[in-house]
Amino acid sequence: MATGTDQVVGLGLVAISLIIFTYYTAWVILLPFIDSQHVVHKYFLPRAYAVAIPLAAGLLLLLFVGVFITYVMLKNQKVTKKAQ
Amino acid sequence: MTKLAQWLWGLALLGCTWAALATGALGLELPSACREVLWPLPAYLLVSAGCYALGTVGYRVATFHDCEDAARELQSQIQEARADLARRGMRF
Repeated sequence: MATGTDQVVGLGLVAISLIIFTYYTAWVILLPFIDSQHVVHKYFLPRAYAVAIPLAAGLLLLLFVGVFITYVMLKNQKVTKKAQ
Repeated sequence: MTKLAQWLWGLALLGCTWAALATGALGLELPSACREVLWPLPAYLLVSAGCYALGTVGYRVATFHDCEDAARELQSQIQEARADLARRGMRF
C-alpha cells in the first residue's frame, strides 16, 4: 500500500470526486422531480448554472493548458537559440 | 473500423438523439420534468466522466504498492553512478 502523503492525496481526490458527483447528480437529475416549494431548493443555484459553471471551468482548463504549452515551447526555443 | 471512428459514431448518434429530443423535433410531448433533466444531459455526462477519472486516479494513487527497499536501493545506485561519472569528467 502507498504510504503517507500519497494515501492522503489519493483519498482526498476520491472524496472530492464523490462530493462533486453527488451534488451535481442531485442538481441535474433529482431536483426537477422535487416540488418547487420544497426547502431543499435553497441549497442549489438556479439550473442555468448547472451548464454554465462546468463550461466555464472547462474553458479555463483549456486556457491553462494552452498557456502552459506556449510557455514550454518558448522556453525551448530560447534554449535552442542560445545553444546555436 | 478504427476505435476513433467507433467513438465518433457513438458520440454522433447520442448527440443527434439528444438534439432531436431536446428541440422537440420528433413531436413528442415529454413531461416538463423530463425536459428539465434532458437538456443539461451532455454537460452532466462530461462532468460525471471527469469525476470518474479523478476518482480512479486518486484511488489508484492511494492503493499503489510501494517497494521501499527497491526504492532505497535504486537511489543508492543512482548516487554511485553519479559519483562514478563525475569522476570520469562528466558535468551534470
